[in-house]
Amino acid sequence: MDFINIFIKTAFIENLVLSYFFGMCSYLAVSKTVKTAFGLGMAVIFVLAITMPINWLINEHILTEDVMGMDLTFLRFILFIAVIASMVQLVEMVIEKFSPALYTALGIFLPLITVNCAILGGSLFMVSREYNLMESTAFALGGGFGWFLAVVALAAIREKIRYSNVPPALRGLGMAFILTGLMGIAFMSLMGIDPAALGQ
Amino acid sequence: MSKLAENIKKLDPGKKESPFLHTLFDGFFTFLFTPNHTTDESGVHVRDGMDLKRTMIHVVLAMQACYLFGTYNIGHQHFVAIGEYTGFLEGIHLKLAYGLVKLLPIFIVANVVGLAIEFWFAAKKGHGIEEGYLVSGALIPLIMPPDIPLWILAISVAFAVIIGKEAFGGTGMNILNVALLCRAFIFFAYPTTISGDEAWVAGLEGFAAGSPVDYSWWQTGFFNGIFENLGWATYNASAVVVDGYSGATPLILAANGNSFAAEGTLAAAGGWEAVTSVYSPLQMFWGAIPGSIGESCKPLIIVGILILLSSKIASWRIMLSMFLGMMFTGMIMNAMGTSPFMTVPWYYHIYMGSFLFAMAFMATDPVTASSTNTGKWFYGFFIGMVGMIVRVWNPAYPEGWMLAILFMNVFAPLIDHMVLDANISRRLKRAKKSVAESVSVEQTMVEKVH
Repeated sequence: MDFINIFIKTAFIENLVLSYFFGMCSYLAVSKTVKTAFGLGMAVIFVLAITMPINWLINEHILTEDVMGMDLTFLRFILFIAVIASMVQLVEMVIEKFSPALYTALGIFLPLITVNCAILGGSLFMVSREYNLMESTAFALGGGFGWFLAVVALAAIREKIRYSNVPPALRGLGMAFILTGLMGIAFMSLMGIDPAALGQ
Repeated sequence: MSKLAENIKKLDPGKKESPFLHTLFDGFFTFLFTPNHTTDESGVHVRDGMDLKRTMIHVVLAMQACYLFGTYNIGHQHFVAIGEYTGFLEGIHLKLAYGLVKLLPIFIVANVVGLAIEFWFAAKKGHGIEEGYLVSGALIPLIMPPDIPLWILAISVAFAVIIGKEAFGGTGMNILNVALLCRAFIFFAYPTTISGDEAWVAGLEGFAAGSPVDYSWWQTGFFNGIFENLGWATYNASAVVVDGYSGATPLILAANGNSFAAEGTLAAAGGWEAVTSVYSPLQMFWGAIPGSIGESCKPLIIVGILILLSSKIASWRIMLSMFLGMMFTGMIMNAMGTSPFMTVPWYYHIYMGSFLFAMAFMATDPVTASSTNTGKWFYGFFIGMVGMIVRVWNPAYPEGWMLAILFMNVFAPLIDHMVLDANISRRLKRAKKSVAESVSVEQTMVEKVH
C-alpha cells in the first residue's frame, strides 16, 4: 500500500516540476513538441527508476558509519552524481546498440538527463525522508511519471499556442514560464490530499 | 434604421486619429448593429450575419435566471442569519433590494475592470474588440461570495484577463478558463474571503450569536426611505444573529460535521446526516442555501442547460461525460465508505455545492475544453473524477469543480493531441490495408488473365 501511496503522492500531489520546480531547464528546453517531450519524459522515468535504488544501496551500505567504520556521508553528492552520469552513459549505449531509431529521436536530450536536477533531487529526497528500498523505487517511478506528465502537457499546450497572437516579448520562453505558473495553480487542486489517510 | 446607423457612423473618430476611441466606437457599433459586409465579386465564400457575439449572448441569456435567484438568495441568507422573514416569499422586496446592493457593485467592478483591459489591448493591437469578455464578465459575479471586497475582485479580474488571456493573444487563445482563473487567484491569494463558514452570508459583523448586522446608507437611508413611503416592511438595523447559526455550506457540514450537534451523534461527525440536520434536500434542490451567488438554484441551472443544449452552444458530450465521471467516482467512494463524507450517496452530491453550475457553464467552455469529440468524453470524465476526489478526499478545499476544471484545462491540448495521433495512425493503417488489398486483387486478376 505504501508503494502506491508514495507513487500517487509524488506523481500528482507533490509533482517534482510543478511544486518543487525540479528539472526546470530541460523541462523548458525540450517542451517545444510533444514527440521530443515524450521521449525525454520516458528517459527520465527510466533513469530515475534505475539510479534511485542504486543510490539507496550506496547510501545504506557504503556511506554509513556502521558499515565502513567511518562516516563517508560527505561523499554523498559526488557519488550520487557519478552513479547518475554513468547510468545515463550506460542507458545511452544500450539504446544506441539495440534501438538506433530511438537513439536518434532522443539525440542530445539523452545525455542532458545527467544534469536534470529532478534526478539528483530525487536521490537527496530519498536520503532526507529516510525511505527504504521499496519506497525509494516508488518515489522514483512516481516522480518520473509526474515529470513526464508535466512536460508532455506543457509541450501539447505549446504546440497549441504556436499560432496564437502572443505579444512578441513573451514568445517562446516567456510564455513557457507563464504556462508553468498557471499549470502550478491547476496542480494545486490535489495538494493537501493524504493518500495514506484514505484507506483507513 | 440605415439612416440612424449612418448618423452614428459619423461619430467614429477614425482609426488613425485616435486608435483607442476608434476601438471603443467600433465595439459599441457592432454591438448595436449587425455588420452588413457582403462578399465581393472576387470572393468565393459566403458571409453570414452570425458572429461570435451570437454564441456569447446565448450563454449570457442562459445564466440570467441564476442572476435573478442569486439576487434573491443573497438577501434571503442574510435574513435567515438574523432570523427575520425566514419564509420563502416573506419580505421579498427587502431581500431583492439587499441582493441588488451587494450584486450590482460586484457586477460593475468585474465588467469595468475586465472590459477596460480588453479595450486597451484591442486598441494596442489595432484590431476590433473581441467579444470574449462578455461571458467571463457575466460568469465572474456568479461564482463570487456576496461579501467579496471589491478591490480584491478588481485585482483578480485584472490578473485573469492579462495573464490568463491577453498574454496568450486574446479571445479564443487562452488555455485556462478566465472566470475560474479569476476565482482561483482569489482562492489562493485571499483564501479567507472565499472559503470557510463565514464567507457566504453577507452583511453580518460576525457569526457568533448576537453579532449585529452591518447595514450601509443604501439599506438604512435609501431603501428604508422608499419602503416607509410605500408602507412596506423596512430594514431593522438593530437585528442580531440568532442562536445556533453558523453559515456553513452543505459541503462544509458534510466534511466537518455540524458544530451545533450533540457530541458523538452522526450529525456531529459529518456526512449526509450533518447536512440534513441543517438543510432539507428539497431546500438544497431549490437553492435556499449559502454558497456562491449563482450556483445554488438547481432548477434554474437546468433551465440554463436546456437553453445551451437546444441552441447547440454547449457540448452535450462534456456534460454527460462529466456527469458519468462524477457518478462513477461517487459510487466507488460509496463502496469504500471509510469516512462520513464518503458515505454520502453519489446523487446527493448534485444537491450540494456547484456541480451543476460548473457542468453547465464552466466545463463546456469551448475554448479551454478539448476540441475533438472523442477528447471531450475523456475531458469531461476526468473532470468528474478529479472534482469528486478534490471535494471528498482533499481536506484543504471544500469544493472541487473549479480546481478540477482548471486541472483538466491543462491536459485538454494533450488529450486532443493523443486523439489526433490515434486517428492518424488508424487511417494510415486503413490506407495501407486497402492499398495491399487492391494490389492483391490486381494480382489475382492478372493471374486469371494469364
